[in-house]
Amino acid sequence: MGLTCHKLTLLTLGALTIQILGLSLFVLGFFPVKPALSGVSGPESFQAPGCDSFENSSDSVSQDLPPHRLKSLYQELSGIPPLFDRLILMVIDGLPAEFVLGKDGQPPRKDLMEAMPYTQSLLSKGNAIGYHAKAAPPTVTMPRLKAMVSGAIGGFLDVAFNFNTQALLDDNLLGQLFRIGWKMVMLGDETWLKLFPGLFMRHDGVSSFYVGSPLAFDVKDTVQVDQNVSRHLDEELSRDDWNLLILHYLGLDHVGHIGGRNSFLMIPKLMEMDEVVKTIHLNALQSQENGRQTLLVVVSDHGMTENGNHGGSSYEETDSLALFIGLKNGMSNYASTAHYSVNQVDIAPTLALLLGVPVPKNNVGVVISKTFGSLKDEKWLRVLELNAWQLLRLVQAQLPGLSCGSFPCDGSTIDLGSRSEECNGSPEKVLCCLYRNAALLHSAWKSIKVSRSTSGNDYSNTVAAYYQFMETASEWLSRRVTDVCISFSTSIDFTIGNDYFALQKPVGLLAFGVVAMVLSCLVLLGLLNCISGEVCPGRWCLDDAFILGTVMILVMSMGSSSMVEEEQYIWHFFLSTSYLLLLRRTVQSLPAGSVLSSFKLFKRQKERSDFRVLSIFLLLIAGRILRGWHQGGVNWTHLPDISKWLEQAGNDTVRSIQVASGILVICLGLFALVLFGSRRNIIQMVGFCLLNCGLLVLWHIVEYQGNAIASSSSGATLLAQRIYVILGITSGGIVLALPWFITDGMKSSNSRRVDSQNNFVLLPFRDSSYVIGLAYVLCWCLLQLLLQQPINSVPIFLLLIQILAILLLFSSCGLQFKEWVEVALLYYMGMAGHFALGNSNTLATVDVAGAFIGLSSHSTLLSGILMFIITYASPMLFLLSMVMYVSVKSTAYLAAEKNADSGHLLKVMLGLPCLVPLGLNSILLTAYTIVLLLMRNHLFVWSVFSPKYLYVCAASVCTYIGVLAVAATEVYAYFILVLRRKISVSVSNGVG
Amino acid sequence: MKEEKKQKKKEPKTTTPSVSPPQAFLVHLVCGLGLAAPLWVAHNLFSLTLVSDPSSTLRLIWVVKTVVMILVYSSFRQNPEQCSYSRAVGRGILALPVGALVSALGAMALGAPVGSQYLAKTINWSLFMSSLTVICARGFCIWLIMDRLATDICTYQVRPNGALEYMICIPAHGAIIGGWLGAWPMPLDWERPWQEWPICVTYGAIMGYLVSTIASFGFVVAHRRHRLKGD
Repeated sequence: MGLTCHKLTLLTLGALTIQILGLSLFVLGFFPVKPALSGVSGPESFQAPGCDSFENSSDSVSQDLPPHRLKSLYQELSGIPPLFDRLILMVIDGLPAEFVLGKDGQPPRKDLMEAMPYTQSLLSKGNAIGYHAKAAPPTVTMPRLKAMVSGAIGGFLDVAFNFNTQALLDDNLLGQLFRIGWKMVMLGDETWLKLFPGLFMRHDGVSSFYVGSPLAFDVKDTVQVDQNVSRHLDEELSRDDWNLLILHYLGLDHVGHIGGRNSFLMIPKLMEMDEVVKTIHLNALQSQENGRQTLLVVVSDHGMTENGNHGGSSYEETDSLALFIGLKNGMSNYASTAHYSVNQVDIAPTLALLLGVPVPKNNVGVVISKTFGSLKDEKWLRVLELNAWQLLRLVQAQLPGLSCGSFPCDGSTIDLGSRSEECNGSPEKVLCCLYRNAALLHSAWKSIKVSRSTSGNDYSNTVAAYYQFMETASEWLSRRVTDVCISFSTSIDFTIGNDYFALQKPVGLLAFGVVAMVLSCLVLLGLLNCISGEVCPGRWCLDDAFILGTVMILVMSMGSSSMVEEEQYIWHFFLSTSYLLLLRRTVQSLPAGSVLSSFKLFKRQKERSDFRVLSIFLLLIAGRILRGWHQGGVNWTHLPDISKWLEQAGNDTVRSIQVASGILVICLGLFALVLFGSRRNIIQMVGFCLLNCGLLVLWHIVEYQGNAIASSSSGATLLAQRIYVILGITSGGIVLALPWFITDGMKSSNSRRVDSQNNFVLLPFRDSSYVIGLAYVLCWCLLQLLLQQPINSVPIFLLLIQILAILLLFSSCGLQFKEWVEVALLYYMGMAGHFALGNSNTLATVDVAGAFIGLSSHSTLLSGILMFIITYASPMLFLLSMVMYVSVKSTAYLAAEKNADSGHLLKVMLGLPCLVPLGLNSILLTAYTIVLLLMRNHLFVWSVFSPKYLYVCAASVCTYIGVLAVAATEVYAYFILVLRRKISVSVSNGVG
Repeated sequence: MKEEKKQKKKEPKTTTPSVSPPQAFLVHLVCGLGLAAPLWVAHNLFSLTLVSDPSSTLRLIWVVKTVVMILVYSSFRQNPEQCSYSRAVGRGILALPVGALVSALGAMALGAPVGSQYLAKTINWSLFMSSLTVICARGFCIWLIMDRLATDICTYQVRPNGALEYMICIPAHGAIIGGWLGAWPMPLDWERPWQEWPICVTYGAIMGYLVSTIASFGFVVAHRRHRLKGD
């Protein structure tokens, strides 16, 4: 007949290994790692590609030369004098360009105009040019900063490393400026310090993590964070020893996160920013009299949605600002500049060329035309040429072997006979042809100029041709970086033999990954089928079909982007439907007349059916409150929900609720323990330990949370670290020690005659796994109370209630659900709870603030683990509750399995609780992998489907860890008990 | 939602009134008209639609529908000697708020919005659902959720067995399943006015009701043939 326990374990582990392997291959293949060129642009970038005299020695040249020599070398080679010798880069985090420039040619709203009088007057007088700088998704700070200074668009996985801020090693503007000896000062977001360690002569960093957390609903925090930037501003402006001053204001982003675009704090914040612009500009005008040419660039890294979130790719989020103040062109009135639209990456080449350094090597941006208004025609064409060369180099790096004809390297003119041509064909041919056109026109223009017959027409044609090439190249390059579809479709072409530059690697990786995942999914499902046939044979009924139907519909709904965005509705809808089905089943299974009596006066309290109905009502009510707690999702986030309502009620209300739910969690947990058997010493010990942990967590909540300054103090950190350690010791200690010391308390109370040897093990096994499971669940809840946002403490309590209620329901013998249905239901509850805690399928809802609780220094690994613990609180909680579930169910085997061996017993007890979550997870993972592959050309592949895929991957990891913990705990407890039994038998034999 | 397939088997009572296909057709026609007429009236006389004013439209529908259903189904009593016509009408009227309470609670559990601005809509919608589901069952002395309770009181059979049971139970189930399915487009971001609560759920319930009415007529015909063959 069936499988043995060993075989089952081996097969499951094998399937999991294959799954993990397939998953990692797929992720590697699907998410392109950014194809960045190493090295930095040096003097060779001032020469046409293909004929660089510096080509071989570029590194040594740029490294050997002292900064001032390099600076003059650049100036000599480029032929353009640097227009500015000082740059003030003012980054206003999260400012939508709409606030300053208006939308669709319309000026901004009147109150916004009035909030920034100075900036608006600069714009209207033509002293400033503003652009809508379209940011590439993901609209999160660090990738956007990288894009602005390096001109390159990062790959999707950059988001995952957003929190893991690392030094930017690729060629970038700051590095170039540093190399020519610029002195830099940074005030503001610490991200800059992590991106560019050691570049800044002076800095005063503020971290956005504590203050920007949703924890801090304190007006002070949006003010303090900017005051920390501005406090040194006057001092720095009066100094003369720097060339680059970076100001990064986080306050506006915080205002958005707290109150959305229309927050009442927004106008004062804009006024504050306007004051800063005014101060800087007046100072810059002053220093101009002293011969310093200062350029002030006001940029924002991303915009924000109506309710202040960002991360996605909607117009509101990508609409960031680029405002150049102090350019020497008296041109342009307000109306004409207001709706210029550029890309955010265009800022990098523009600044590089304005400041006289080579364009960064991986730049895909195109120089912004109006910013060079004061240059002569010849110089302007040279600027365009330099940008075009850089782009052509990058194209050539992407398409090895591309050469677009040869051009003389000495800048001499070519014959006028060659004419521009129509460009069509494959992308590389088009790019080549466009470049050739531009180069030809340029050289033609030069030769005409030499012969002194200037013509405005030729000039504008040349500029247009350059722009045509650069824009095409830029678009092509950025698509190549962000879109897998290009590399994927071309790699399919490759297999047919069409396309010579395609990458073969992804197809192999992707195919292998998908096949491996499908295979492991099939193996797991086969095992599941096998085991469930063995453990719970029986006819199919409505509940089984419904549970299976849920999986099917979930898989199907994943193909629709709006369903992915609003996944929480599906989970809740299915879960409450299954509660209602349970209710129907329970009511039907009641003996006639009992419903009436239970609705009359609850006279027959002892009847188990009463609390079955009650526990289902408890599940329904708790589920509904959980659904209403966070609106969740993407499209309807702004609708009112309980958490918003409580937050409006104020900080004190939230804190008192948090404390109350902390106390309730502890009470409920201890109550569940006492119900089990309070008279035994070991139980009292466990209860005491758990109470101890609970009180510590409560202490932390009362003392430190709810107040941004206290929560980052060293006392709070120390206490949180102690709580981690104590929770770890408590749960670990209970697991390790309990099987050794648990007494057969039930033997005396249980009247049933224990006649088989197994029952000597099974009874204490049931008891110990109940206590261990409860300890797991309670410790996890306490940890979550510490880590989660204060507003989430009530959902944690409700989830605990749900766990206890459903276990109570399952423990009653009257209901004959199939075991896999019950385990699947627990898994579903975990997923519904995941969304009830405010998570969604966008990366914006990951709680970053909590990930730094108790960490004294920045550690990527530790904060990553904490972030994972916070995000997957609910799925993990329900997986851990499987330990209790096994205990609840093992009573059923007492009667059934008289003389089975350990392997068989373990298989029957642990098989389904471990295999069902793994099986469900593998179905979802595999299905979603295929969906992602099919959706690779979808418009929302990067904004909706890919973030969801990251969540699916993390959920898989969570399932692996949870199932492993459950299995290890139960096996350990079981074998210790068997060992104890053997010892006691041998002792008694020895005595006998 | 609560799908009510009666599973408990009991011996069919001998007093089960039989329904001929023309009779069933007539009943279904009247019930269908009871649903269509108020919709038509609302649209053409009061220029109300479900989308523009869901509360008033639903109110109109459930009032008309309740009257039609109670009057029609009260004539099909299981034991006419125990349950007089007026008594059946009275029970039907009593069942309306009970059914409404149950459907309102069910809808809220499934995620219907709770709030003062939705109160009127929810009340009218639940009365409407009650008029579709419970009334038709009520004339028959079956309460929707507590069928066992009903069995206690009325001691009637609970498994759809005769033609009458099909006629009564299938449309009620259809309405509930239709409403359940009708809730699916609600979270989508199509930004259509009909995605609001309770409009598309109402549409779903009406669709489900109509489809299952036709299906139940088919069952009645099939049942009749089966019995004729059996005879």
